[in-house]
Amino acid sequence: MTQHTVTVGTTTVPCGPDQTVLDALLRGGVWMPNSCNQGTCGTCKIRVRSGSVEHNASPEDTLPPTERADGFALACQATVGADTVVEPPAGEQTAATHVLRDLVATVTEVRDIARDTRRVLLTLDTPLEFSAGQYVEVTVPGTDVRRQYSLANPPSEPKLLELHIRRRPGGVASDGWIFGTVSVGDRVDVTGPFGDFTFDAESTGPMVLLAGGTGLAPMKSIVRHALALEPHREITVYHGVRTAEDLYDVALLREWEGQYPGFRLVTCLSRETGGDREGYATDAFVEDVASAKEYTGYICGSEAFVDSAVKAFKRRRMSPRRIHREKFVSAA
Amino acid sequence: MTSTLSWIDEITMTQLERNPYPVYERLRAEAPVAYVPVLGAYVASTTEACHAIATSGDFEAVITPAGGRTFGHPAIIGVNGDIHEDLRSMVEPALQPAEVDRWIDDLVRPIARRYVEAFESDGRADLMAQFCEPVSVRALGDLLGLKDVSSDTLRDWFHRLSLSFTNAAVDENGEFTNQERFADGDRAKAEIQAVVDPLIDHWIEHPDDSAISHWLHDGMPEGQTRGRDYIYPTLYVFLLGAMQEPGHAMGSTLAGLFTRPEQFEAVVDDPDLIPRAIAEGMRWTSPIWSATARIATRDTTVAGIDIAEGTVVILSYGSANHDTGKYDAPTAYDLTRPPLPHLAFGAGKHACAGIYFANHVCRIGLEELLETIPNLERDTDADVEFWGWGFRGPTALHVTWEI
Repeated sequence: MTQHTVTVGTTTVPCGPDQTVLDALLRGGVWMPNSCNQGTCGTCKIRVRSGSVEHNASPEDTLPPTERADGFALACQATVGADTVVEPPAGEQTAATHVLRDLVATVTEVRDIARDTRRVLLTLDTPLEFSAGQYVEVTVPGTDVRRQYSLANPPSEPKLLELHIRRRPGGVASDGWIFGTVSVGDRVDVTGPFGDFTFDAESTGPMVLLAGGTGLAPMKSIVRHALALEPHREITVYHGVRTAEDLYDVALLREWEGQYPGFRLVTCLSRETGGDREGYATDAFVEDVASAKEYTGYICGSEAFVDSAVKAFKRRRMSPRRIHREKFVSAA
Repeated sequence: MTSTLSWIDEITMTQLERNPYPVYERLRAEAPVAYVPVLGAYVASTTEACHAIATSGDFEAVITPAGGRTFGHPAIIGVNGDIHEDLRSMVEPALQPAEVDRWIDDLVRPIARRYVEAFESDGRADLMAQFCEPVSVRALGDLLGLKDVSSDTLRDWFHRLSLSFTNAAVDENGEFTNQERFADGDRAKAEIQAVVDPLIDHWIEHPDDSAISHWLHDGMPEGQTRGRDYIYPTLYVFLLGAMQEPGHAMGSTLAGLFTRPEQFEAVVDDPDLIPRAIAEGMRWTSPIWSATARIATRDTTVAGIDIAEGTVVILSYGSANHDTGKYDAPTAYDLTRPPLPHLAFGAGKHACAGIYFANHVCRIGLEELLETIPNLERDTDADVEFWGWGFRGPTALHVTWEI
C-alpha cells in the first residue's frame, strides 16, 4: 500500500492508505467542515474531481448511490486509491484551522460529579490549540475503541482536557473504563481537535446556551471563553436534566453569576421540583425570552434535545445562521 | 381543424387555467405533440418533444397568437435571425452572471429586507401579495430604471399583461373568444407608455446606468438610439414575464416546501439548500408553464409525429417537467430528488436570458424571509390555490407565525 495525496484548492496533503480524506486534510491544516465524523451528518460531503476514493462505511442515507455516481464522497469516511483532487462542500471556503494532532495525555483526576457522571481531567504533554466547543477522540487504553468527548475547558488552558462522561451500561469506554479500570497516571492516546460546534467570534448581542445532561461540557468552554473576551456579555445557560442528582457544576456556575453581571444559570429538572425550573430547558427558554432575534444560540445534547431546542430557538425567531448545535451520536 | 382524439376537442381554457395537469398527463401518454382546438395550435407536452423542438434546426421562434396580439412586433421571444440577435445583445449585458454578481446582493437584499420588515411583527401575511411579487417587481423595476414606479403599479401591470398574453381561447374559426382580456391588456400598455415614454425621452438625452437606458444606446452609432416602438414589445416581455415569474417561483417553492415539513425545516436550518429548493420549486410548478412557441420551417418529425411546415407548436414546459419518463413521482415536491436539469427556463436559442438573475432574486428573497421569520408556517385555514396555464403559481400564500 502506498501513500497518495489529496488536493483541495491550491493545497496538497499526504494521505495514507487507511487514512480518511478528512483526517488527511485536517492534519495538513486545511479546514474542512466536519461535524459527526461518523458519516451520518453529511457536513463533510466533498466532490471528487479526479483520482479515486473508496466510500467504506459511508451510509446510503447520507450518500445515496446517485450522489456517489455524481462524484460525491464523505470526507470522514472516504479513503483514496490514487492521488485525488476534491472540492470542498458547496459554499465553503477552505481556511487555516487548528491542526489535527495525535497526542498523549495523562489521567490526572477522576471524580464523581453527578449520578453516573464523572469528570475526567487529562493533562497533555504538549499544548493543543483548539476552539471553544470542539471535541477530541480518546482511545480506550488497550483497545482500538475511540470515543468522542467535548472539551469543557477553554482554549486558554491548552494542556488540559476536561471531559464530562456519563455512564452507559455495558459501554466499553464509559462502563468498562471510566467507571471501571481507569486510574490516575494512566497514559491515553488522544486525537483532536474536531468539530464545527465552536464559539462564534463574530457574534454580538446576548448568548443563550441550552445543554442537555453532559452537553454542559462544551458550553462551559464556550462560556468561559466568551466571558474572558467580554465580561459584561449577557449569557444564559439552561441546563436540562431529569433530577437534581443529575446536576453538576452548579456551585461553580453560581459563582460566575456573582462575578459576571450578565451571566445566569437556569437549572431545569424534568422529573421533579427543586431546580430553578420544573420542566424542559427548551420550554423554560420559550417562557423567558419573547424574542431571540438578536441572540446567538448554542445547543448540545441528545438528538431529540437538539431538535426540540432548534425548534424553540426558531419559535422565538432566532436567525437559523446564529443557531449552533452539537448532537451526541451514540457509538455505533 | 379538429384533432383526431375527441377528448382533446372538449378541452376548455377554463379547465386548463384552473389545473392543466390532468389534461397534459393524458396528452403526454396519448399524444405528446397534438393539435388542441381551443388553443388553435399544436402543443408539445413531453420532455423529449419540448426539448427536441426548442433545440431543433427545423423550428424557429414564433410568439403565441394571443402573445403576439398583446405584445406586437418585434418581441424578443418571437423573432429570429438578425433582429433576435440584436435584441439579445441589447438585454444580455446586464444579465451576464459576472455582471449580475457585481450588484445582485446590494440590489435585492435591502428590498427583501424592507418588505419582510413591513410585516414581520404581524404574525400573518399573504406572501404572494406582500413579499414574493413585490420583491420580484422591485428588484427588476430598479434594474430597468423604473425606480419611481410603485411596486403595486408594476404588479398591476404584469397581472393585466399576463391575462391578455394567455388569452389563448379561439373558436372554430380561429377567432379569439374573449376580447375583454385583450382590451384590458391594451389599457395596461397605454398606462405603461404614459409612464415610460417620458423616461425614454429623458434617457435619450441623458443616458444613465439603468437597463432601459442601455437598451436605447448600447451598440448604436453615436447620436442614435433604438426606436421606442422597436423596444416596447421586448419591454412588455420584461414587464410581464420577468416581473411576474421570480415571484411565482418563490411562491411555488414555499408552497412545495409546505407539503414537506421536514424539508421546509431543513431549508430553514441550512440556507445553502435554498438554490436546490428553488430548482425543485420551478420543476414542480413551472412559472412559465406554457407561454412560448415555435413554428416549423420545413416538414419534419418530432417524437414520431409528422409536423408540416408552418405548424405552430406551443411548448408546455410545465408539463415536460412532470414527465414520468424523466422524473419519479413528478407531482410531488421533493427537494431530495436527483437534481436533473429541468425545462423551466426553456432551451435552445430562446432559453430565458434572465436565468441567473431570476435564480438569485429568488435565493436572496427566500434567504431574507426565512432568516427573519424562521418559524413561518402555512396558514392551515386557507388552501393554497394555484392558477394559470400560460403562467402558473399560487394566487395567494397565507402564512402565520408566532410573534
